[in-house]
Amino acid sequence: MAEIMTAREAVKRYIHTGTQVCWGGFSYTRRPYTIAREVIRQRDRIKHHFCTMNGGASIEEALAANDLISRLETTYVGLEGIQPVANSIRRRVQDGSIPLFEDYSNYGYATRTIAGRFGWPFAPLMAELGSDVPEYDVFGKAGLRGRNADGSWIDPRIPPKKLAIIDDPFDGWGLRPHAFEGGDTTANKTNAVDRVRESDKYTGKKGVKVILVPPILPEVTVIRAQRVAVDGTVRMEGINGPDAEQAMCAKYLIVECEQIVPSDELRAAPELNHLPAHITTVIVEQPFGGYPSAVPNYYDYDWDWWVSYGRTNRKSKEEVRDWWTKHVVETEDDWDYLQRIVGMKRLFELRATPAYGYRADLKRPM
Amino acid sequence: MEQISEEAYDAYLKERGLTRKQYTSMELLAVAAAREVPDGAFVFAGTGLPLLASMLAQFTVAPNMTLIMEAGIVGPRVEHLPISVSDPRGCLHSSMVSNMADTFGTTAMRGYCTVGMLGGAECDMYGNLNSTIIGGYWPGGVSGTGHGPHVRFAGSGGANNIASFADKVLVTMVQEARRFPERVEYLTSVAGARGPREKKESRWDYGLVRGGELVMISDLCIMRSNQKTGLLELDAVFPGVSVSDVVNNTGWKLDTSRAKEFKPPTEEELKAVRMLVDPSRIYLGRKSKREAAAQQK
Repeated sequence: MAEIMTAREAVKRYIHTGTQVCWGGFSYTRRPYTIAREVIRQRDRIKHHFCTMNGGASIEEALAANDLISRLETTYVGLEGIQPVANSIRRRVQDGSIPLFEDYSNYGYATRTIAGRFGWPFAPLMAELGSDVPEYDVFGKAGLRGRNADGSWIDPRIPPKKLAIIDDPFDGWGLRPHAFEGGDTTANKTNAVDRVRESDKYTGKKGVKVILVPPILPEVTVIRAQRVAVDGTVRMEGINGPDAEQAMCAKYLIVECEQIVPSDELRAAPELNHLPAHITTVIVEQPFGGYPSAVPNYYDYDWDWWVSYGRTNRKSKEEVRDWWTKHVVETEDDWDYLQRIVGMKRLFELRATPAYGYRADLKRPM
Repeated sequence: MEQISEEAYDAYLKERGLTRKQYTSMELLAVAAAREVPDGAFVFAGTGLPLLASMLAQFTVAPNMTLIMEAGIVGPRVEHLPISVSDPRGCLHSSMVSNMADTFGTTAMRGYCTVGMLGGAECDMYGNLNSTIIGGYWPGGVSGTGHGPHVRFAGSGGANNIASFADKVLVTMVQEARRFPERVEYLTSVAGARGPREKKESRWDYGLVRGGELVMISDLCIMRSNQKTGLLELDAVFPGVSVSDVVNNTGWKLDTSRAKEFKPPTEEELKAVRMLVDPSRIYLGRKSKREAAAQQK
């Protein structure tokens, strides 16, 4: 049964020094900022953690700025329309203060979450072939993969290999476009399977190559939803990004939400729900807690905050950290942060326009 | 387009200090990229210029295209320019919104990724893209020096995957010799032929079952991959740019023998990109690095 608690309690109980946390949402959308800000408030206790994500990097930028990331396992560290590369992450990767960074592609990571979601030992991936993504194995080079002499895993959170490449036992039969009589109806027209059958790269044998990726099995996944039922049933609105999959991969799932609702409200249309009650470990209710990201149908991202922060995070590391101290660490909790630092006026300006799901007249000056 | 009156457009031009015929570098790139989209295409676009160009294509040459954004968006009818591939603006009136595993799986892998639009920090002679690092790959914990790469970029995101699955890849970049080396330092995305076929270094030799057609739209020119050799060749130079400008800004011996002149953006195309795609000029108002440098001088 899911437990309802404050963000402070949830972070205290589940996130410690070095914990592998998979952060939900994508870029500026439905990101679990209430838990992220609480991690920042407790930064002296937590010190650093193993950050995993597939849809960065706004929360990760904030965590990096507070020196909370010691390992980063991710696909993309840009801030899209605001800043090409999240500056607090970039400078720490460059100067070595984020010592380990394992690169994946979005689909490679998503495929790992498909394996994790279904409890599979691995899942097939047809991308990343021919690129350098499979060639560089940072966790391997750091000696974190495989077993100790006594048979235990060196790090139980890290799979023994980054990936494996095999020849497709079904000889490329299942790939689209498929050899249906009269051709396939897919939009893609190029099909080089016959040429690929002649390839002897990777395996030393001729055949269609397939990458197998292991699941991602984080200790904690944190996501944000609009509504969570008191029993733990989760419904997300708008784009889902990586969340439904990676929520299922975790040992513990923390769901923060705009609103905790009676079970009947979500059980009346169960086909619209994303996660069944038994998957959720902790529920944290915090209206507007996704700020400054957008929560579809509730409120928009705070464009002005992002543009202004995109200037702040170019200052010295110390200045940026001080900025977080003043804006977040010195607040009591997210109610204090939202009321005193952000202000109800701004939050109400961001409320979504019905029929759009975002603030249709939001001004977005650069 | 009919819904935009001439008066409204004139007022917009006046307010923004623009004219009907003159265009900025960003506008030119958006128009050039949009023209490469076949009607009926399924277009995977990232934010920035790719999204501008694909939205413009939807209003001009490719009204029946389907826009895909990798966070889970299929076929939206966008009214306000998204700044992220997960921006709720991108979801408006979509055929479906789902999740990332689904977009790459049920859409791209399943056979609905005809055009991909990407950017990059480096592009080499075989159309390989680097959007990961410059100056060493290994992060500080394993590099032996204590520090990481000289410059860290955003990383693959979905770029590797789109480059792997698309029939045709469009890339937009600022062209400088150092960004167009013979070989990228880190191969993030196999967007073109990858390497010479005779040496068994092509994308197909490495197991990629689709693609190979690359169109590079830099701020100086358009390059295309030669289907026989796999090499990028000069296809067209932009107005005001000479062939030698392009050659001087390319790090390999560029075949220019088939170069043509580029047909400048039409007034209709400019009106569409300004009034329908990015009226608040979130991206169109940005200067390319070359324009910014020229302004400083």
